[in-house]
Amino acid sequence: MYSPPLHIAIMEPSKIIFEGLQTIICHSSLDCRVSRMERIEELTEMMEQNPVEILIANPMQFVNLEKEVKKLRKHYPSLAIAGIDFGIIHRQSMLTDISFTLYDTPEQIIQSLHKLQEKSRQSEQEREEDDNLSPREIEVLTCMVNGMLNKEIADQLHISVHTVVRHRKNITLKTGIRSQSGLTIYAISKKIVSIEDIDI
Amino acid sequence: MLQPPKIKIRPAMKMADLIDANPHLLLMLQHFNIDFRVSDMTVWQLCSSHGISENLFVSIANLYNGFETKGHQPFTQKDLLQVIDFLKSSHDFYRNDMYPQINSFIRQLQEKHPMREMKLLEKFFNEYFAEVLEHLDYEDTTAFPYFITLLEEREQERQGTLYSSKEYGDHHTDIELKLQDLKNLLLKYVEMEGDLELRRRLLFALYELEFDLYIHSLIEEKILIPSGVLIEKRVNV
Repeated sequence: MYSPPLHIAIMEPSKIIFEGLQTIICHSSLDCRVSRMERIEELTEMMEQNPVEILIANPMQFVNLEKEVKKLRKHYPSLAIAGIDFGIIHRQSMLTDISFTLYDTPEQIIQSLHKLQEKSRQSEQEREEDDNLSPREIEVLTCMVNGMLNKEIADQLHISVHTVVRHRKNITLKTGIRSQSGLTIYAISKKIVSIEDIDI
Repeated sequence: MLQPPKIKIRPAMKMADLIDANPHLLLMLQHFNIDFRVSDMTVWQLCSSHGISENLFVSIANLYNGFETKGHQPFTQKDLLQVIDFLKSSHDFYRNDMYPQINSFIRQLQEKHPMREMKLLEKFFNEYFAEVLEHLDYEDTTAFPYFITLLEEREQERQGTLYSSKEYGDHHTDIELKLQDLKNLLLKYVEMEGDLELRRRLLFALYELEFDLYIHSLIEEKILIPSGVLIEKRVNV
């Protein structure tokens, strides 16, 4: 199957770091092109013209822009973000998928990028799949429509609350519907639940 | 969501040409209370004849054309009071124009297709709109009066209030999100035959409302709230 070259954007103010990364990436086995950007706002424009699969950024640049970054991620689920770890932020930023330090070897860095590439392609595929819910998701949806809480759903289906939350996320991703009342109408239209079961 | 044309608006452009390229700008003119007969005027001429600063007009017009304002340009006190009038006028548009319109389309559809899904859909929209109204009322009664006292430097009236732009920012939610559910239900799931005319009108109205609500949030996020924060910093020093 033909896959177009990977598009990597680097948001890093230091020219030394940018050019170093660019050299490592260009000399690797990754089939890709690299763009440089200065501000997170530029990403939206880039995504329209030539979708970026991986953003490499110094997470310090996300400070006070958390809301924007989250929005971007929601809007472009196939975008993966690699953070450059300067050792300043000790725990991994919630906004990045993976991080590497400037002292990692080129091989380690490329390996992380390979992983991200897979993730990005996978979520692209998931999106292209149809919106058919799995049998488990249908069970969860039925419970939700009947007004059950996550804990109750978990108990009834003998799964963890965490798993219930994951199913709910996938249901929203597949159907494009977020709200509980919207999902009720979906479930009726798809004849997952019978109309008589619902109080109007 | 509707994608506006990416034409960067500059003061020397003719308003009529811009409307031709993006008719949604008519809605912006309406919110600014500017007549649609714009003759041959450029943006610059239009602004000066209506006492609106070019900076403000161009910033908002560019939001309608799909560009977010770069950074926080210095908006004057007069600009910001006009922003509040603009936002209030869009509240009227949602309350008195869009809502009754969409409501009547859904009602007509429901009468023709008396299945219970439609009844639920109507209920869904009404609940959603109740949320929108609550948000609009909150802005009209709490947020905007606060900004006005801030802008008019009536400090005594603000004494003792713990309200701030930041709190407004936190309270501020993406009220257009649930509209996507409604659109998806109509486009993908709810089975219905015929009445394309009515259904198209309903969908168009939903798109129009969604787009304007989106711009509305952007104006608040990109212009009003950051400017409020700046003034608070200056006043409280």
